[in-house]
Amino acid sequence: MMLRASSEFADQQVDLSVITKGTDATSGVKGETALLNLVEETVMHPGSDNLRHARDAVLDELGPQALVDTAAVIGNFQRMTRIADGTGIPLDDMMTAMTVDIRRDLKLNEFGAAYRTKETSLFKRLMIRTMFPIMMRRIRKRAQAQAPIHAKGDA
Amino acid sequence: MQPFNYSNSPFPIREDLIGCFAYTWDKFSQPGTWLTAAERVAVAREVRNAQTCQLCADRKAALSPFGIDGVHNGDHEPLSDLQVDIAHRLTTDASRLTETWLRQCIDQSHSQGNGGTLTDASYIEILSVVVSTLAIDSFHNALGFEHEPLPQPLAGEPSHHRPTGATSGTAWVPMVSGKDVDPIDADMYGGATRTGNVITAMSLVPDAVRLLMKQSNAMYVHDVIDFSSNSGRALSRPQIELIAARVSALNDCFY
Repeated sequence: MMLRASSEFADQQVDLSVITKGTDATSGVKGETALLNLVEETVMHPGSDNLRHARDAVLDELGPQALVDTAAVIGNFQRMTRIADGTGIPLDDMMTAMTVDIRRDLKLNEFGAAYRTKETSLFKRLMIRTMFPIMMRRIRKRAQAQAPIHAKGDA
Repeated sequence: MQPFNYSNSPFPIREDLIGCFAYTWDKFSQPGTWLTAAERVAVAREVRNAQTCQLCADRKAALSPFGIDGVHNGDHEPLSDLQVDIAHRLTTDASRLTETWLRQCIDQSHSQGNGGTLTDASYIEILSVVVSTLAIDSFHNALGFEHEPLPQPLAGEPSHHRPTGATSGTAWVPMVSGKDVDPIDADMYGGATRTGNVITAMSLVPDAVRLLMKQSNAMYVHDVIDFSSNSGRALSRPQIELIAARVSALNDCFY
């Protein structure tokens, strides 16, 4: 949901199948191949030579600061995934309501831990889906009132 | 020498990252809420042992991770076999853990007469040390850095502080909602009354939440739902979320 929401906010079309397909899909996010390769090698093959190549690719394409920030986000989600799986938490209500189609399309409901999350009621789903765009508009309005943030990696 | 000295790094490392890593190591070196400092450092060591553990590899390859017995590699002092097993499973195969497994771990601990060895709260503290170590080690792996030597544990006793407002029902362990936080832990969620389950999940050990929030601010973004902000990172927010989502998928994490 966070990828979809952040890309919608940035007026970007993103193919979410990249989440499960990795580099076999094309999301439309700038530098995605380099980023996804570094993620894959760090998480799945931390001792491999390919990790060095993946690191160099991010460095070449996005620069040293982006490389460090990528490493930090990878580390952060190595943490978050284990907290979620180690405590058996369900998805939060908002995420449950907003990801019905994503979970269906990407077959995420086939993940072992999916049983822990019960679908939200239709009423709650409608309410959240109504409120979410309003929340996004408020964030956008607030952002426009502040100085825009431009990063080297901005797509 | 101060830990996390990146003066020889070919890439500039943000000060807030260095600060949060050093803070984590400092916390590991001190007695925790339910574990001694020696136990906390030993749990961190098991995260590293698990990476090359044959038993963990065999379990990971098996249809069910619960059908294979054996001994984990490494020197485990002063941890119990159960604590070691928990640390290894959380590190290498967390997505296949179950509530039944956790209940059995706690029951087993009590039936062995080690009443204080494992409770729901001490499990959360083990989890906190595991994930904090793994997060920092993964950062180092991604950048090609050696792992930071673990800190020397200090003497002292755990605080045994358990929040009074924890309630069961949402997760495998009781959690404290924003409105039920004890005054002594008022800072725990940064004043927010609503937080994501992944934060609340650690609330049986308030110091674990504090550590998580500090690390998350430095390693991810400051305000998760403010999609207008990339917290000053060199990546756009969609790039950050792409990385996050893919790490989750590779870990078979539904959340």
